[in-house]
Amino acid sequence: MKKKVLSILLACAMTLSLAACGNTGGNAPAAPAGTDAGDAATPGESVASELTDGKFAETRHITVEVYDRNNDGGSDPTNNVYTDYIKKGMLEKHNVEVEFVAIPRWTETDEINTQLAAGTAPDVCVTYSYPTIKSYADMDAIIDMRPYIDNYKSELPNLWNWLGETNLYWNSDLEDGTTWAIEAKLANMNRVVTFIRKDWLDKLGLKEPTTKEEFHDVLVAFKENADTLLGADANKMVPYSVSYDVGWRAATLIESFLDPNMSDKEYYVNGFDDRKICQNGTKEGVKLLNQWYNEGLLWKDFYLYGSGDATEDDMMKAGYVGAFTHNWDYPWRNGEDSIAANLKRLVGDDAKYIAIDPFEDKNGGHNKFLAGPIDRKIFFPSTNDEPLASMLYLDFISSPEVIEFLQVGEEGVTHEVLEDGGYSIIAATGDAIQNSGMNIDYTITCNGLNLTTEDLTKKSLAHTYAGIDPQDILDADKIAKTDTRIGINVNVGDIEAESGAGDTLTAKRDTCFDNAVKAPVADFDATWEAGLSDYLSSGGQDIIDERTAKWDAVYSSENIR
Amino acid sequence: MAKDNKGYKAPKVKFDKVYLKRYYQLYILLALPLIYLLIFKYVPMWYILIAFKKYSIVLPVHKMAWAKHHGMEFFIKAFKSKDFIVALKNTIVLNLKDLIVGFPVPIIFALILNEIRIKKFKKVVQTITYMPHFLSWVVIYGIALQLFAPSTGLVNLLVERLGGTSINFLGEPGNWVRTYIGLGIWQSFGWNSIIYLAAIAGISPDLYEAASVDGASRFQKMWHITLPGIRSTIIVLLIMALGNIIGSGFDRPFAMANPTVLDKAEVIATYVYKAGIKGSQFSLTAAVGLFQSVVNVFFLLGANWLSRKFGERGIW
Repeated sequence: MKKKVLSILLACAMTLSLAACGNTGGNAPAAPAGTDAGDAATPGESVASELTDGKFAETRHITVEVYDRNNDGGSDPTNNVYTDYIKKGMLEKHNVEVEFVAIPRWTETDEINTQLAAGTAPDVCVTYSYPTIKSYADMDAIIDMRPYIDNYKSELPNLWNWLGETNLYWNSDLEDGTTWAIEAKLANMNRVVTFIRKDWLDKLGLKEPTTKEEFHDVLVAFKENADTLLGADANKMVPYSVSYDVGWRAATLIESFLDPNMSDKEYYVNGFDDRKICQNGTKEGVKLLNQWYNEGLLWKDFYLYGSGDATEDDMMKAGYVGAFTHNWDYPWRNGEDSIAANLKRLVGDDAKYIAIDPFEDKNGGHNKFLAGPIDRKIFFPSTNDEPLASMLYLDFISSPEVIEFLQVGEEGVTHEVLEDGGYSIIAATGDAIQNSGMNIDYTITCNGLNLTTEDLTKKSLAHTYAGIDPQDILDADKIAKTDTRIGINVNVGDIEAESGAGDTLTAKRDTCFDNAVKAPVADFDATWEAGLSDYLSSGGQDIIDERTAKWDAVYSSENIR
Repeated sequence: MAKDNKGYKAPKVKFDKVYLKRYYQLYILLALPLIYLLIFKYVPMWYILIAFKKYSIVLPVHKMAWAKHHGMEFFIKAFKSKDFIVALKNTIVLNLKDLIVGFPVPIIFALILNEIRIKKFKKVVQTITYMPHFLSWVVIYGIALQLFAPSTGLVNLLVERLGGTSINFLGEPGNWVRTYIGLGIWQSFGWNSIIYLAAIAGISPDLYEAASVDGASRFQKMWHITLPGIRSTIIVLLIMALGNIIGSGFDRPFAMANPTVLDKAEVIATYVYKAGIKGSQFSLTAAVGLFQSVVNVFFLLGANWLSRKFGERGIW
């Protein structure tokens, strides 16, 4: 008898579990789209009644995405000194309860995809890729932010002050103003500069190179004196290191071959690839690299080590690399594990990289193309039923005092005040540890040091990297800001050919660059042309054509700045 | 099956109370894997529909709009894309080479191992050859870089010391394919030989004794007894391998590829990852995946039909 009951029970349990599984498959995703879109359709009308002195009468609750970088010895990204500060501030100022949701940094898109599909995405989401957001919009998974931006303007003074029309309307549709995401502001627009080993220059009695030719001569000198510079490790020397991502890691060299005065139209039409594979002049830059490669001045195996591989960084840290081009503050990133700190430990106190500006353009300047003043993109999923509270959140973290606190923390814990009034960052411990540089993960409307006054920012910038000579940082900052051309917002509507094409074309571009650099000198032209034509025929040309047509339809002249 | 079992008649089973009472526990045990199959293999098949519809992240499948061209939009798009064709070609080429070069290796290895009389040595060799099977391809590529990188790889350093010029094992398309096949064999031949060794163990020792009495040499015994003895195992495995001829794992080509060999290394799995998953084109991805599965089924059926034609049993 007992057995019989048991078996019936088991059978029931099984059928039930089966039925349950079947249901979740079919029904769950249905919930978000339709119902909530209706609720959110009339923003602005009830502002007056909802807020008194910027406060809700009843406590509201919102969830906010925060990257989880999983750093060794970091703090809990959803619960630390900085989240407490935000939570307290939001509750006091707006009577809004904030809950942080950790999203793994390196798989963020997959995670947000899943959460959007399940209807559990945070109310305030952030990502770097606008095409991703656009594809969400095409699937009705997110809401139009324009009505909230406009109708609540008076409630959002900090947001409007900080981002302004430029960034708030950056992605607005030309015709109906639909805005799927607003752009965070890039406070520090520095991009890439070239670094060289100062101690090697000194040892060989060389000057800092100021032209391509001088730079080449220095590289040759490094190579010829490898025994003096590296002793037993001489064969490990890499005079100039470029990774598989040639277009990024030789960007200043390549850009020096581009026309600094090219028209906005030309720059835009050929500019889908941010490594500039289609721009006129890029080929000459890669050709020079190809010559250097064949002279043995570059890293021979560069194309075998893919994205995220630490081999090249390790070579820099071990002191084998003479020069390289990278983010303007790259040698100083990551505190105790920075390239600079490792170099000091492993090679000696005088071993260090300094910034140089050796690639002259045809006008004798040092042409550098910058991106626009935009950074991450913020969007609200259609499950967000607190759009006003979410906008107030964005306003709160855009206020100068909040940005300053999040970036430099408390005096004595994360920074010291210097004699001239500037801040110097010191290593924090426990819950005060910043998981990302200057807490970029919390200041989602701002990237780059931006303190309450410009003077303070300037004085502090040089001290934001613990243990580094401030002068080195100021020099790099100055070079990064020399002869720059800031990207402009070209808004000509959707380019259909671009949708979904990005990653395939990125792979093609790397193939083209890498093969061209490592080809024998005699084969360079043929290799480059083959790679480029493969890129163009895989969708690159369609993008150029569509961009040209849409530019002509929207703008009447070649230049719009 | 039925034909082969002509001489043997299974006793009739009555599915009555007594039977169920006696065996219900076995059925419950069987239910577990069945539920697994149902939930993870059959229920998801519903989502094949995505290949014919415009994918939406928030709508359930049955509410998504049908794709253009009677739902065939994404199949047309895939076959118009030159990159998909290249990926398809690479997949077939790499798999065929893998099959031709790699398939006999575990068989030969099993035969050799079977001739070894020192038990301990045999065991040690087996354990060592199994080991690479448990390494992920990312790790294997890491090892390959240490060995084969043109300027820092151990093998190339050795070649240079001996006066040769370094060989670009990983950065030249032809060499890359050879390295890819070679590492694949190295990773899997030990593990794949297990099933052959088991089949060999099932051959009656009487046959070998009789052959010895008749004066057969070792090689003759291998050729006339061992090989025919494991023939049906070989055929079944060959059918399964052919059934996967345009399928492929993702991690091996993805981990081993680098930009300079991409036009030989891009296979369907990596193409789907780049164009579909990273580019959020889920419908396109589903269409390519469906195409892949359907072709694989045809290959499987064809291989099975062929083997039965040649008098073997096939897999069903």
